[in-house]
Amino acid sequence: MSTTAWMITLQFAGVNALFALAIYASLWTGVLSLAPVFFGAVSAFTFGYVAGTLGLSPFLGLLLGAVLGAGLGALTAGLLIRLDSHYLAMATIAMVLIGRVLILNLPAEYTGGATGTLVPGDLGTWAWLIGTLVVAAYVMARLAGSRFGLAADAVREDPAVAETLAISPRRIQFIGMIISGALGGVAGILQSSFLQYIGPDTFYTHLGFVTLAAVVLGGAFHWLGPIVGAIVFTILPELLREPMGEYDRVVTGVLLVLIIIYMPRGLVDVRRLRLVRSRWWRPKGGGPEPGGPDPRDPQPVVRAEVVS
Amino acid sequence: MTELAVDIVGLTKAFGGLKAVDDVTIQVPPRRIHGILGPNGAGKTTVLNMVSGFIQADTGRIDVFGDDVTRLKPFQIARRGVARTYQNIRLFPGLTVLETVVAGAYMQRSSTIAGAILMSPTERRERREMRERAADLLDKVGCRAPHSALAETLSYGDQRRVEIARALATSPKVLLLDEPTAGMNDVESEEVGRLLVELRELGLTLILIEHNMRLVEEFCETVSVMNSGALLAEGAPTWCLEQDEVKEAYFGKRSDAARIATLRRARRGPGGS
Ligand SMILES: Nc1ncnc2c1ncn2[C@@H]1O[C@H](COP(=O)(O)OP(=O)(O)O)[C@@H](O)[C@H]1O
Ligand SMILES: [Mg+2]
Repeated sequence: MSTTAWMITLQFAGVNALFALAIYASLWTGVLSLAPVFFGAVSAFTFGYVAGTLGLSPFLGLLLGAVLGAGLGALTAGLLIRLDSHYLAMATIAMVLIGRVLILNLPAEYTGGATGTLVPGDLGTWAWLIGTLVVAAYVMARLAGSRFGLAADAVREDPAVAETLAISPRRIQFIGMIISGALGGVAGILQSSFLQYIGPDTFYTHLGFVTLAAVVLGGAFHWLGPIVGAIVFTILPELLREPMGEYDRVVTGVLLVLIIIYMPRGLVDVRRLRLVRSRWWRPKGGGPEPGGPDPRDPQPVVRAEVVS
Repeated sequence: MTELAVDIVGLTKAFGGLKAVDDVTIQVPPRRIHGILGPNGAGKTTVLNMVSGFIQADTGRIDVFGDDVTRLKPFQIARRGVARTYQNIRLFPGLTVLETVVAGAYMQRSSTIAGAILMSPTERRERREMRERAADLLDKVGCRAPHSALAETLSYGDQRRVEIARALATSPKVLLLDEPTAGMNDVESEEVGRLLVELRELGLTLILIEHNMRLVEEFCETVSVMNSGALLAEGAPTWCLEQDEVKEAYFGKRSDAARIATLRRARRGPGGS
């Protein structure tokens, strides 16, 4: 691959990492949502329209994406959080589909319809991309271990137990969707600025699939996971394209399946690290014996009976 | 009359055709250690599930310190000072021992998203205090496992202790314990018993489901005995265990007072307490 092609691939990897972080933000609270793709689309087309008619500084453009995305995230959460997880996921996929219909059918002066629309490219630089990514990663890293972060962990791992710790799952998921929205909005702005031309297929199911796969592959339990996943999942198909030709998709697909089976928590797996570490501390193990009696089994009716 | 800590009146819950809990009334004054006894399937866990809001009662009413909590959501009940542990240990798979307990302190923290992102001095102080408090609670419940180990890798005894520490982190007024000594040996069980007394001294009201009769007699001031969803007997543990219906529920028709007495002696062991 030429250097230019590499640069472009890496830029896409960076933007995908932002989208993946957006998906991660809601998944952290136990909500599987592809809505960030829709938030990205709305932000990008709004950005294109506003920048085209009024002009917009790059920083204001990003701010617009974050605020618009966060607002849409709140709105989506308000409408959808009550749904069960599967229906919620499907509803967000529907949002992505509806987004395309809207883009095609809104008056052409807003979205450009089927031909698409032009977007200023001044945000499409390495500096803006890396700067945004660093800020996003920093925010997620700071939130890990915070009051919100631990509550999100708890809600995701066992919402019923979290609730008996006085945590309101809905509230935590609402906050997660707002963060997810802000990240998705910003990612959409950067995406459009790199492409300088956006159409009905720019923010569509393919982007949703790639970024969701990035989260699954990279690991959905640590902020580093989506970033690593997005980089691997964007670069790998490009690397495979020359030797494999059109079979690159098959290889990435198989890889994804293998990772889901053998590394269900993804490449960045903090739990595995911690497990290894706890084993290292207590080589003899004071932990539950694999074959030992499981006290979680129903107890004998009266324990005193055992002695008789 | 002083206000009851937990006032359960006429509680009923059916699963399909099965009446898991049938018109149960349990009244527990503040600072009491109250046991719920009964054979497996008696409906004990279901009662705790309704008090903590895990499941909704069909009929009946539950008041906690005078507040009707019958139709509240679990987090609202938790905010009124009810915490619990689980018969089937339920820890968060990805969290360490310390994180698990800090997660329980959700309402004890005031930090905001912005504060966390900017790492404000308040946030820093709060994180430190929360870690210290969690470590203190783990000490109090007698968990000596490394705090940075995954909670799920601990021995069952320690897992139960972490669950208690997590529940205590919510600063509860009422603590519900579902078979807290299951899987523990006599020495460990005795430690749990002493912890109960210590917590009572701190002002907590404790309701526990327990199968270890020696522990019940030693530490519970009152008990309710259930069988097939209904209340069989209530009162002092020793008295309750003498009742024919109770013996029958536990040992079937062949039951005799002598057998329980023998068991009790055997349980205490030579030169027992
Ligand atoms: N969620 C549930 N769905 C259906 N049946 C249940 C449920 N929880 C408990 N039961 C049934 O209710 C009865 C009482 O159960 P439980 O309260 O767990 O008894 P205990 O804790 O006294 O052993 C049992 O027959 C049990 O199978
Ligand atoms: Mg039970």
